[in-house]
Amino acid sequence: MHWVVAVPMALLALSCVYPVFFTVNNALKDNKGYILNRFGIVQDPSVQNFVDAWGRAHLGEYLFNSVTVTLGAVVLLLLTSSLAGFALAMLRFPFRRVLFIVILASLMIPVQVVLVPFYRTMMGLGLINTRFGLILAYTAFFLPFCVYLMTAFYSRLPREMVEAARMDGATLLQIWWNIMLPMGRPALLTLGILNTLYCWNDVLISLLVLQKERTVMVGIAALRGEYTTNVPLLCAGIALAAAPIILLYIFFQRQIVDGIAVGAVKG
Amino acid sequence: MARRSEQTTALLFVLPAIAMVGIFRMFPLVWGFLLSFTSGDGQGGSVWVGIDNYRQLTTDTAFHDSLINTAILLATLPVWVMLPLLLAILIHQGVPGGKLFRAVYFFPAVLSAVIIGSIFNVLLRYDGTINAALGSVGIEAVDWLGSGTTAMASLIAVALWSTFGMSVLIFMAGLSTVSSELIEAARLDGAKPAQIWWHVILPAMRPILEFVAVVTTIGVLTSMFGLIYVLTAGGPGTSTTLPEFLIWMEQGKMNRPGYASAISMVLFVGMAGLAYVQIRIMSRNANG
Repeated sequence: MHWVVAVPMALLALSCVYPVFFTVNNALKDNKGYILNRFGIVQDPSVQNFVDAWGRAHLGEYLFNSVTVTLGAVVLLLLTSSLAGFALAMLRFPFRRVLFIVILASLMIPVQVVLVPFYRTMMGLGLINTRFGLILAYTAFFLPFCVYLMTAFYSRLPREMVEAARMDGATLLQIWWNIMLPMGRPALLTLGILNTLYCWNDVLISLLVLQKERTVMVGIAALRGEYTTNVPLLCAGIALAAAPIILLYIFFQRQIVDGIAVGAVKG
Repeated sequence: MARRSEQTTALLFVLPAIAMVGIFRMFPLVWGFLLSFTSGDGQGGSVWVGIDNYRQLTTDTAFHDSLINTAILLATLPVWVMLPLLLAILIHQGVPGGKLFRAVYFFPAVLSAVIIGSIFNVLLRYDGTINAALGSVGIEAVDWLGSGTTAMASLIAVALWSTFGMSVLIFMAGLSTVSSELIEAARLDGAKPAQIWWHVILPAMRPILEFVAVVTTIGVLTSMFGLIYVLTAGGPGTSTTLPEFLIWMEQGKMNRPGYASAISMVLFVGMAGLAYVQIRIMSRNANG
């Protein structure tokens, strides 16, 4: 009985990894090799497509843009959310509850719902076509979940820690930097990885904000249009764009799993 | 004295987060609401047109089609919830290879919609890989992405394939929290495995089921853009155009900010109720 369900489940699992094999396999062929033999294993592999994708199709540039923007946004997200989470979870001040709800409530406003006015706001602030603008945009749109998670995480830590540090004369800022940031490491790691995925994979916000320089996902979408007939080159581009994410998946599965399950289940 | 300055410091700590969501989400929402009552005057300015944009929506066939497509998409939701639940139960029951399946199933979910869309575009388009394979065994080619009847089905299938693993993970996390004493007690009372599932485990899973249903619904309403953008571009015609894609088309190609904002407002109202439920579940879990 177990094997009867295990076989279809195994096929489903196979389908989840096959596209990656398909992509890498075809990226190593030349165009003629692909058309003559779409499924077969590559005969004489060549990295020429990767070289072309990197240089001629500008993916090198796009990857650099993506790395800059993703790093910037993730650092900003972690700093702002742990600072806010620390205050919301451990300190007493007026409107604490209201502010938490306001931040959570902004989850109700996905970017599609504010596409036009958001673009105009960015325009008014001179942030269109700047990497810094895209960093701020990602921070704004991915922040509520981060604040939620950090607040929930810090709520479970003993408050006496803060009291003790305060007795020793530490300021709140020192307490945050010296105690809360190191203590928050597991949650920060989870959030760092999840948000790296979100920023790297985004296409809509990036299309809107960075219209001259492209991030790698916008670049891939464009590449698909420009090189429709050259599938191996497209595959090489896809492989380059997906490689960092596949590495994250391999090394940080646990954190990704934890991050996805949180919010649904009391952690 | 110290007390007061500490309250100020605490407020300052929350300020960056509040400023970010305020400037880039709350303020644009209000602005968008106002914009939805205006129309471009052709010289870069805008004029107040009252509810004209909304009136136009009632006769706009592209908008109607996008709603019908949304309805079709929502009709498939039970599959989006029940299939992962079934898979999670089977893995939890110790199917051979279950641990590996769990890890592999959510692999597509970490890939970008653009990556998945591009790969499936190569596979599914008319001169693509799948048709070449079908042709080699003598089956006539199907225009998966180019025909109105199959394009939406292809889009839904690819979207489902690329996200089901996430729900499997959430269900598995939920299953691991069901109290084993409860299950043991039922077993001692002579309940059969099927009865235990139906009367003990599934009721305990109710909050998780709710969560997955809500999150999936929000997901299909707001995160299909990337996939549509590279897989079908909303076409053929409007057969895979969802409201979020229509908003993009209206604001970009046709340069009608007021009209795009009106569609945005409709989407917002539709979403707000769902998001409210999600936030309630999340804040319940955070405080519990």
